[in-house]
Amino acid sequence: MARIVVLGAGVAGHTAAAFLRRWLPNRDEVTVVSPMAEYNWIPSNIWVGVGLLKKRQVVFPLAPVYRRAGIDFRQARAVALWPEGDAQSATPAVEIEWTREDRRGEREKIRYDFLVNATGPKLNFEATPGLGPGKHSYSVCTADHAEETARAFLEEVERMRRGERRKFVVGVGHGACTCEGAAFEYIVNLEFELRAHGVRDRAEILYLTNEYELGDFGIDGVHIRRGGYITPSKIFHESLFAERGIDWLTRAHVRGVEAGRADVLTLDGEEREVRFDFAMLLPPFRGVDMKAYARDGADITDRIFAPNGFMKVDADYTAKPYEQWRARDWPRYYQSPAYENLFAAGIAFAPPHPISRLRTTADGMMISPAPPRTGMPSAMIGKAVAASIVDMLRGAKKPTHAASMAEMGAACVASAGANPFTGTAASITVFPIVPDYERYPEYGRDLNYTFGEIGLAGHWIKILLHHMFLYKARLRPGWWMIPE
Amino acid sequence: MSETAPPPQSLPPHLRPWFYATKPTRWTRFWRTFLPWQLVRFAVINVKMMILIWRSHRGRKR
Repeated sequence: MARIVVLGAGVAGHTAAAFLRRWLPNRDEVTVVSPMAEYNWIPSNIWVGVGLLKKRQVVFPLAPVYRRAGIDFRQARAVALWPEGDAQSATPAVEIEWTREDRRGEREKIRYDFLVNATGPKLNFEATPGLGPGKHSYSVCTADHAEETARAFLEEVERMRRGERRKFVVGVGHGACTCEGAAFEYIVNLEFELRAHGVRDRAEILYLTNEYELGDFGIDGVHIRRGGYITPSKIFHESLFAERGIDWLTRAHVRGVEAGRADVLTLDGEEREVRFDFAMLLPPFRGVDMKAYARDGADITDRIFAPNGFMKVDADYTAKPYEQWRARDWPRYYQSPAYENLFAAGIAFAPPHPISRLRTTADGMMISPAPPRTGMPSAMIGKAVAASIVDMLRGAKKPTHAASMAEMGAACVASAGANPFTGTAASITVFPIVPDYERYPEYGRDLNYTFGEIGLAGHWIKILLHHMFLYKARLRPGWWMIPE
Repeated sequence: MSETAPPPQSLPPHLRPWFYATKPTRWTRFWRTFLPWQLVRFAVINVKMMILIWRSHRGRKR
């Protein structure tokens, strides 16, 4: 009998656990450890954040789903890894601290044969003073954040109905943020809803981003064949904003947020004050700050985790300039180089470097998007890791299934307004996610598989994906046939 | 620190940051929500995405 512990029940962890349970015999045990009692389909949080959906439409309780699937679920957060075992046993263990109300604060160790770290990000609001819910800006990173954001947004709508003019700022709250795609979706949905409420003429809307150009999205932008030209995503992104009367400020780092104002530093060193009545600014991410100990209790955290808290895997972490970045720097198997039974999936793995070119101010402040690794790549990595573990349990010496972001594509549907007849969404595919300039010297990507268009069809697809992926996450009959 | 909030909406279009961006014509916008055409695009985009997903899954085994 083997026990596989999956830390995290987001897209990567949930996918890994579900496939492990499906592929492994019943005698093997699959345990999921997650501090959250509910699964959240995060891509739909943007609709919660403008009041179109309720929280209950994007979350569901994990415990009954795992009970039905035969997966052991512990509502707890991982505190420390003991990959060599401890004084009591040579079997590796993970130390957890329960977050469920009846056992809150209780600690225990779970022994494992394989461990998948899919803990996702820590939402690092602390990196920017005054940033985040409960302070001076809102977020849509969790369903609870999104509900609070929706309440504030609808209050602003009421003020505008009474004749007031309001200023909205949406974007990222730090120069090292990722997930610019979510900020983009939120701002165009917010603009669409202001029109639907009949108050658009009383609103100023500003997109505040650390991207060097619009359309970068942390993947160095994309090029698309369209209208007889090969066109960079910057053109499409600017066009979408121009059409909607949305202003933008790029190359920006938010140094601090106070009531009604953000202190912004731009890449050229200029200091700006951006005033607002409502701000939705996403936080930067870091790893969840787990510790790691050797069997004798020595701290080996830096052997397993990078300084940013993400887990080191089979990537090339040699520091090198942008011109020397290669597709092969990116991990293929997500296995820890220190312990062969330790894997990371989704946001939890440490990328070798960003995808977008690193840019810093003259004073050395980095203002550049971090690489996104959410959604489709997260799920594919989770599935590949699960497949490798199953093969290793059957005797394979090494991981068998690769899922390099430099060898896989991503399909993304970014909502630009939710209405079954007048809504639109940008449907985008990119192949590969990480540009490979050795295979595709001109643009780093295969333009036959990289495309984008905006239209109502995209919105229908977004709706379809919302229901399809929630069905899949609930592990309903045939869930495994729905592709990642 | 300078007060450099973006220009208010009362400014004419040529003073707004998006004046230099590409904008779609009415005809382009019409096709984006024209039901019969979007049904076709729905099918086409789905096929394109399925091909991409198939290609991403292909040949990943060591």
